Parts: sequence; structure tokens; C-alpha cells
Amino acid sequence: MTDRPADFIASFMDDYFAESDEHLTAVRRNLLLLEGAVDGEAPAPVVEELFRSFHSLKGISAMVELKEAERLAHEMETCLGLVREHRAVLSAPGFEALVDAVTALEQVIVARRAGQPIPAIDDHVARLAAMCRGARSHSESTPSLLRDAAAANTADLWKVTFTPSPDLVARGVTVDSVRARLSSVGRILDVTPRVTGDGRISFDFQMTGVDDAAALESWSDDGIAAERATVVPPKRDAEGEPQPPLGVRAFDAPAAPANFVRVDLVRLDDLMRLVGDLVVSRARLEDALHRAERFVPSPEWRALQEETDSIERQLRDLREGVMRVRLVPVAEIFRRMPFVVRDLARDNGKRVQLELAGQGTEIDKFLIERMMDPVLHLVRNAVSHGIELPDERVAAGKRPEGTIRLAATTVGETVVLEVSDDGRGIDIEAIATRARASGIAIPDNGLDPQTVLDLICSPGFSTKAHADRESGRGVGMDVVRETVQEVGGTLSVDTRPGLGTTFHAVLPLTLAITDALIVHAGDRTFAVPQAAVHEVGEVDPQSIRTIENNELFTHRGQTLPVVRLARLFGIESAARSRMHMMVIGTGLAGVGLLVDRISGQREIVVKMLRDPLVTVAGISGATELGDGRLILILDVAGLTRRLRGRGSLARAAV
Amino acid sequence: MQTILIVDDSATIRRMVRASLGALPRTMFVEAASGLQAIEALAVSSVDTIVLDLNMPDMHGLDVLRFVRSHDRYRDIPVVVLTTRGDADSGEAAAAAGASAYLTKPFSPAELASTVTEFLAAARTAAAASVNPRESSR
Repeated sequence: MTDRPADFIASFMDDYFAESDEHLTAVRRNLLLLEGAVDGEAPAPVVEELFRSFHSLKGISAMVELKEAERLAHEMETCLGLVREHRAVLSAPGFEALVDAVTALEQVIVARRAGQPIPAIDDHVARLAAMCRGARSHSESTPSLLRDAAAANTADLWKVTFTPSPDLVARGVTVDSVRARLSSVGRILDVTPRVTGDGRISFDFQMTGVDDAAALESWSDDGIAAERATVVPPKRDAEGEPQPPLGVRAFDAPAAPANFVRVDLVRLDDLMRLVGDLVVSRARLEDALHRAERFVPSPEWRALQEETDSIERQLRDLREGVMRVRLVPVAEIFRRMPFVVRDLARDNGKRVQLELAGQGTEIDKFLIERMMDPVLHLVRNAVSHGIELPDERVAAGKRPEGTIRLAATTVGETVVLEVSDDGRGIDIEAIATRARASGIAIPDNGLDPQTVLDLICSPGFSTKAHADRESGRGVGMDVVRETVQEVGGTLSVDTRPGLGTTFHAVLPLTLAITDALIVHAGDRTFAVPQAAVHEVGEVDPQSIRTIENNELFTHRGQTLPVVRLARLFGIESAARSRMHMMVIGTGLAGVGLLVDRISGQREIVVKMLRDPLVTVAGISGATELGDGRLILILDVAGLTRRLRGRGSLARAAV
Repeated sequence: MQTILIVDDSATIRRMVRASLGALPRTMFVEAASGLQAIEALAVSSVDTIVLDLNMPDMHGLDVLRFVRSHDRYRDIPVVVLTTRGDADSGEAAAAAGASAYLTKPFSPAELASTVTEFLAAARTAAAASVNPRESSR
């Protein structure tokens, strides 16, 4: 039959995956909207959009010869077609079958993408087919859905005519933009194209509820003519059949603008690397300039200096611009969560409401991908361990329905992801008991949140006697924290018995280039990512007290454990009368990092150390300075983590 | 120079159609993602052939086809309709509405290219002749 060469298909697989992702995202969103309408009147626009998504998925899956996806999409399209034509009502089992089939469809596409065997789909197809047995729909012959019939008998009618032309299109005035504009001043009932007497094409918009007639009349320069209409437009009668009253679509929701481009992440990485090279070159230039300073007359030197300063500013703008291109809304992570919560709550007999906040918050594409599983795990934990069963909640004086909140906010150069629940809180006693049983020493005065986190993030640590379905998924809390730390972030927890638990992950906006402080210990130089540093100050080493081998410093009325960078890495360094201290971390997790001096602040290009053989505790990567020297970047989160054990003991001794 | 209007709400399919027809000489492509956009494209560009999807938002492909066939100015433009496998009756519906040919997704790039080439040539040599609805051989 067809002769689509393999390389023709192969060259469209990326498009296929990207577009099917978009459709699946829309499907998930719409299925959630549909869930509330099970056994009742399904909202027509939702059904319509679902139908269309499945139809498109069917078409593109057929083109790339992914037959399993084509079949699943076809069956679901058929079911939705029946609902759309009011020939069937969506029942609860039907809805479950749809949700399961969507999951299967997703698995089929994921398997194809990963080059793995395609999972069997026959059960899903049979289940769907059984569901819509009886009335097979002829979906493609349904008339177009160009009308908002529900409001078609209102009195206040306007006829707005738009006549497109090449000039208007060049100015961005198109039928879509006009439609969006008209939607902002009233409600569009219908659009009909027609050919005018002079042979041009016009679009007639029937409108009602126009609240700004002046605006309508002021757009005549854009090919828009408005007049009051008195007659209700006759119903169009496609193929002589009565128009079913169902497929009505609110015309006020214009199609999403198509002014997006898709870019391969690899190309953006290349661009970022080039910007990184530029940053290094500029730093070299500045170094060379400083060496030349005494040979150049001062007015000329000042001019040079001003030029490199402006290059630096422009470079920073360029870097930020490239970085912004890499940013995507965290909504990508959030979107699938309602599904996960819904399924898991059902399986566990719990009632959970999911709140999402800050979905527009943007974060690096790479980070989004890395954070997907950890956030998923935190949300699963919140449902299965955090939220109590409805009767337990009622007994505790709470609403039977628990709330899980997933929030994202931008704070400076970081993004904070928060997963919180109003459940029972982490059972600290159980954790202490379990830790003691494993031979871990626990201070008598209880556990601080950081230690609790350390314990629940230890590999294999579980207070459960047996692994349940959720904990058997291969991602444990240890992996969650490891992933957060790998991308240069920090994880913390706040838990209150009976009130709930909140996990905060503080993540860098991007990984490639960052601001850093250049610090010295002995003859060594290090870079410290500035986002991790809370405060910088000069201290007199004399003011540091030593208690039981731990050095402590009083800072802003609080006792901070002090760590000497030189001692940490076994670097020889002469005693000094003044040293610089950086305060890293806050509150109980705070540590003072003592260095000989801080010599400046620079933009650095981060080269991650990925080779497991050269991994050094406390070092996260390397960077090149302007003079060509390679220096190491401190893994501040890792350092404080290692030191905090000592810190908390020290505090206990105070 | 000839202009082919590609109408499909799927960006992937539009790219595939374009790639299939990419080898045609002196050809420009105009794309539309909805029925309304397709009509607008007719208004602002001079279109020689339309490759048309049926199931689209806002305005169904059949309505676009009917619009084209009911106005003198556009009546003779060849329209190759793309239907989707499994939607059994839409081919006949398209033929009834005046489709010049219809192909079923998954379509063959070579078949699409030869169909479009044939119509373009026919339209050039016999601009006045009306186009008979015909079904492509599959």
C-alpha cells in the first residue's frame, strides 16, 4: 500500500514526540475536567477538545507507523465521538477505561521513544470497544462547530465584517487576531466566510454582548466594519441534517497563537557553551588590560576600561537572554500531578485535593527533566504517607479531605519548589527508634528537622515494615535528595505532628554560568557559588572559641560552627590576624566558612565533574579564570551537610 | 511559480506534506492550521492547489471544501483531501463535496507528490476545464 521510506519517518520522530506530548498534556487536563461530569452532562468544549486530540494523535501515529498508538487513539476518539453526539453518557467505569487507555498510550509512545518493546494494548482496545459497542459513530462527517447556539437567540446582535488583505496580514492583522480582539469586547456567536461582490473574501462575525461599541468602530483601518444586526442568523444546515445541539463551542477561546518555535536542547547547549567561552575570553581580556595598565597613558586606559565594562554588561545581557530561552514553566512538572494524586488517592482509599501554585514560574529545561521524578516521589509520599485516611482525619478534627500543595516561586537566582501536605506529619519517634535499631546514635534531646531529613534520606531507610507499592518504585528519598544536590540545590523539610509536612527544594535557575566569589586558602584558589552564600564579613581569628575540638563563632547573637577551608582540604596556611568568613546556610543549618581572603566576585562558567572516579567530596566542578588558571568550585551544600553533624554536636555542647 | 496551501491542524503532518512535496519545482508553500486560516490564505495569496485535512477546529475541512467549490473564483483549484484511516465514510463525503482526490493517512509521500503534480499540470494546461471528482487509487 504505502511506501514511506524508513528515513522519511525517522526524520519526523522528534516532531511526532513533541506533538504527541502536547496532545497528551491537553488530554490529561481535559480528562480531569471531565471527571466531574461522569454520569452526567459532559461539558461540550472539553469533549470536543479531547475528541480532537485523539483524532490528531491517531493521524500522526499512523504517519509514523506506530500502530498501537493509532489503535488506542482511534478507540478513544470513537468513544468521545459517541459522547459528543449524545449517543452515550460517560460512566464511571468508562472514564476509568479512558484514563487507563491514555496511560497505555503514553507508555506506547515512551517505549517507542526509548526503542523498547511496545507494550500490549489489546486489553485496553477490547475494553474501549466493549464500552462503545452498539453505536459506531461517523465522526468525520459531523458538521463544523462554528456556532455558539446556546446564545443565538439574544436580541443585542452585531455583525462585524473583516476583510483580510496581504497588507493587513503583513501588519499581523489576521482572522485569528481579529477574533481575539473581538472576543475582548463581546461574545462571538458565529463566523462565516463569504465572497463579496467585488470578489474579495470577508469573514462575517455575529456578535452579542458588545460592551465597547466605540472600540469596534475604531478598527475600520484594520479592515473591520461593524454594524448592528437585527436578524438572528439562520442556522446553517449541513447535509440537510438537523444540527445537533451538542457540538457547540464557545468561540471566545481563540486558538493558541502559533508564534512559538521548537529548538533542540542540544543547540541551546551549544549556544550556552559559546557564551561561556565568551565570558572566559572577556575575563582574559580584562586580565591582560590590567597588566597593560602601567604602560598605557591613563586617558587611553580609562577608555579601554570603559569598553570592556560595557562588553561585560552586554555579555551578561546575552547570557541572561540565552538562559531565558532555556527556561520553561514548571507547569510541565505540575501537569501530570493531578493524575498521580487521583490514582494514588483512589488506590489508598484517601481523599485528597491538590493545589497548584506558581505554575508560570520558569526554570531551566534540563532541571525540569531532572526534577520530574523527585517531585513525583514527594507527591506520592504525601498521598501515601502524609495524608491520613478520611475517618482518621475526622477523628483528629480535620476535614475528611486532605490537601496537598505544590508550589513554585522564583527567589533571586533560585527557584523554590515546595511540596506540602496537611497530613499527620513525619513520625519523628518512629524514625528515632528505627535509627537506634540500626545503630545510629541519636542525641537524647530529640531530632532537628535536618537530622530527620538526613535519616529519611539515607539509602534503604524506611519506617515501614514492608515495602509498599509506592516505595518500591526505585526512587527513594535518598535519590530525591541526591538529585536535588546534583543540580546544585538544597532540600529541607519542615514537619509538625498532626499538622503536616513541607519539603522545600531550592534550585538554581540554571547550571551553566553563575556568579561566584573567588576565595583563597593558603596558595589555593576556589570559587564559591554566590547563591549559597548568605553573608560575607571580616573576622579576627582570636574571636573564635574552641569547645571540645569544635570551633564556634558568635554571629548576630547566634552560635555558628566554624570550618576552616584550609584545614578541610589539608592546605598549609600561615596564621593571619584578619580572615574572611562566609555564612553559608541559615538558622540551625548555618555554618561559617573561614578563608584567608575573598578576592572578588566573578561570573564563572561551570564545568561539572561527572567522572565518578574523580569525584571529591566538597567539590562540585571546575572553572577557568581569566588568566587561564583552572580552579575548583566548592560544593557548598555538600560541605555544610558533611559539617552539620559536627555542628549539631557542637551546639548540643554549648 | 505555483503555490500550494497545506491545511492541517497538526504541525507534524504539515511538515510531512511539505517534505513530500519539497521536490516539486518552483513551488511555494502556505500553511494554515485551521479552516478559517485556510480561507484567509485563499484571500491573501494566489493558491494553485490545496492539500486539506478534514477534522480541524473551528471550521471543518468539508466546509472549507464547500466554500471553495461554491465560488467562481476558487472553484477550479484542485483540492487533495487527507482523511484518516478508520474514518470510513469521509472519503465519500469529501468526493461528494467536490474533492479532486483523497488520500488516507498514513499517506505515501510519493503518491501525494504524484497526485499533486498531476493536478497542477492539468490545471495549467486546461485552466478552463472543470475538475472532475475522482478517487485516487490506493
